[in-house]
Amino acid sequence: MDVLELSHVSKAFGRTPVLKDLSFSVPEHTVYGFIGQNGAGKTTTMKIILGLCRADGGEILVNREKVRYGSGRTNRYIGYLPDVPEFYGYMTPREYLALCGRITGMEDGEIKKRSGELLEIVGLTQSDKRIQGFSRGMKQRLGIAQALINSPRLLICDEPTSALDPAGRKEILDILSAVKEHTTVIFSTHILSDVERICDEVGLLHQGSLALRGSIEEIRQMRRSDGFEADFYAPEDAEYFLQLYPQGERLGKTQLLYPGKSRKEMEKAMRILVETGITPQRLEMKEPTLESLFMEVTGT
Amino acid sequence: MKQLAAFTQKEFLELFRTGRFLILAIIFLLFGIMNPAIAKLTPWMMELFSESLAESGMAITEIRVDVMTSWAQFYKNIPIAMVIFFILFSNILTGEYQKGTLTNMLTKGLSRWKVLAAKGFTVLLLWTICFWLCFGVTYAYNAYFWGNGSVPYLFLSGLCIWLLGVWLISLLLLASSIFRTGSAVLLAGGGVFLLSYLLGMLPALSRWTPIYLFAASGLQAGASPSEFLPAAAVAVLLSAAAAAASIPILARQNL
Repeated sequence: MDVLELSHVSKAFGRTPVLKDLSFSVPEHTVYGFIGQNGAGKTTTMKIILGLCRADGGEILVNREKVRYGSGRTNRYIGYLPDVPEFYGYMTPREYLALCGRITGMEDGEIKKRSGELLEIVGLTQSDKRIQGFSRGMKQRLGIAQALINSPRLLICDEPTSALDPAGRKEILDILSAVKEHTTVIFSTHILSDVERICDEVGLLHQGSLALRGSIEEIRQMRRSDGFEADFYAPEDAEYFLQLYPQGERLGKTQLLYPGKSRKEMEKAMRILVETGITPQRLEMKEPTLESLFMEVTGT
Repeated sequence: MKQLAAFTQKEFLELFRTGRFLILAIIFLLFGIMNPAIAKLTPWMMELFSESLAESGMAITEIRVDVMTSWAQFYKNIPIAMVIFFILFSNILTGEYQKGTLTNMLTKGLSRWKVLAAKGFTVLLLWTICFWLCFGVTYAYNAYFWGNGSVPYLFLSGLCIWLLGVWLISLLLLASSIFRTGSAVLLAGGGVFLLSYLLGMLPALSRWTPIYLFAASGLQAGASPSEFLPAAAVAVLLSAAAAAASIPILARQNL
């Protein structure tokens, strides 16, 4: 079952179109990487899903219920983590989670139990101080706890790691990996290594619509290989091999790159190496990374 | 109801923990004390300055202060306290837009009208407490020093000023649902207030503008209560209309 379905959604700010006939769906229990350049419309899409921003056209279903602008009805299925979550600084984490729980309609006993569990997951059990004294990383972790307080079916994370240092990013990604067993996650980001690490499915938003979609493996297979690299022990070996197998580019004294060559062509190079008795230090197929695909699609 | 109660409770917690309640309570308490104190100190101050005033040709003969002097001071001071009150609450909604704190609440399913209702109720209750604290302190001191028995329609005139505050709160909510900054809210509120003042200068309309309620001290000078009924009725109607209009306006805002 699809937890989220977007059909032909469009949005423009003034005369500038941001989303053009955007359609995609997110199946249950997946981590969906929603990627795109800054300003591609990721945040706008999320705000439309949350009913905070009006779409010019199209339809959005959350848990098969239609999203209506200005109404928070479908938000009872959603947990939202903004890029820089803001809280009432005069509250403690427990007080804030209690407020969130009561707003989502939870019972007091359930709120207490769930808050304890979540604060343990995000590592804030010891903190009884007010949120105004929290670091950015602590706020981000509390952001995840508040987003999960009502055990939502869909967790929307808008660039949750973009403002964090490497340690903070790792913490957040670990938490998101852990919650995906129970919750479907949409993870918007422009940090592609984060997507490769935790996402099952990816959609690349470019010029208002999805330019690429599918699992990371499927997307990689859609594109041709980036070629192969050969690294030799001695510069003479590299020179000799280049004469036997031309079309390569020099990357260094001992390194050669054969751009755009297929796996079959690398096998041919291997046969030449065996026949001539040259031992390479390394011979490696260059698989397309999400980053190279991103660059190719966005033209950056 | 649970959402409304939770958000209202949060509003009260904010009032106490950010010190806003304490600041306003102290300000209104001080104004309440100042009214009779200024009246009491006026003869002493005049005596102190009598020599320098005499040198400039002004002769002070006899200064009489009574309960009316203190109440006159109250009607002079309460607009200042009112302005401070509204400046402190000008960002009641815009502060949440700017920080992004409201987004979390709305994405949890909190209805926008409940945000307005909770904030409106909190500000209204605080205005009621602060205004009647100031009024009560002045009343108590006046009763102690002079007695309030000779002052007609005292509570009715207080009610008129309080009602003017209620109208301003409804303007605050309406402007907060339209604009994104506290300064724009203050400007819009001030603009409507000024417009009401200008309309009040037209003889045909003067008694029908809410601003006329400021003249409620006239009840102590022999004015009839019925004179203030049109302005009070208009203030009630406009307050209800502004509060009602702010709900669909906020519902249409892109946040």
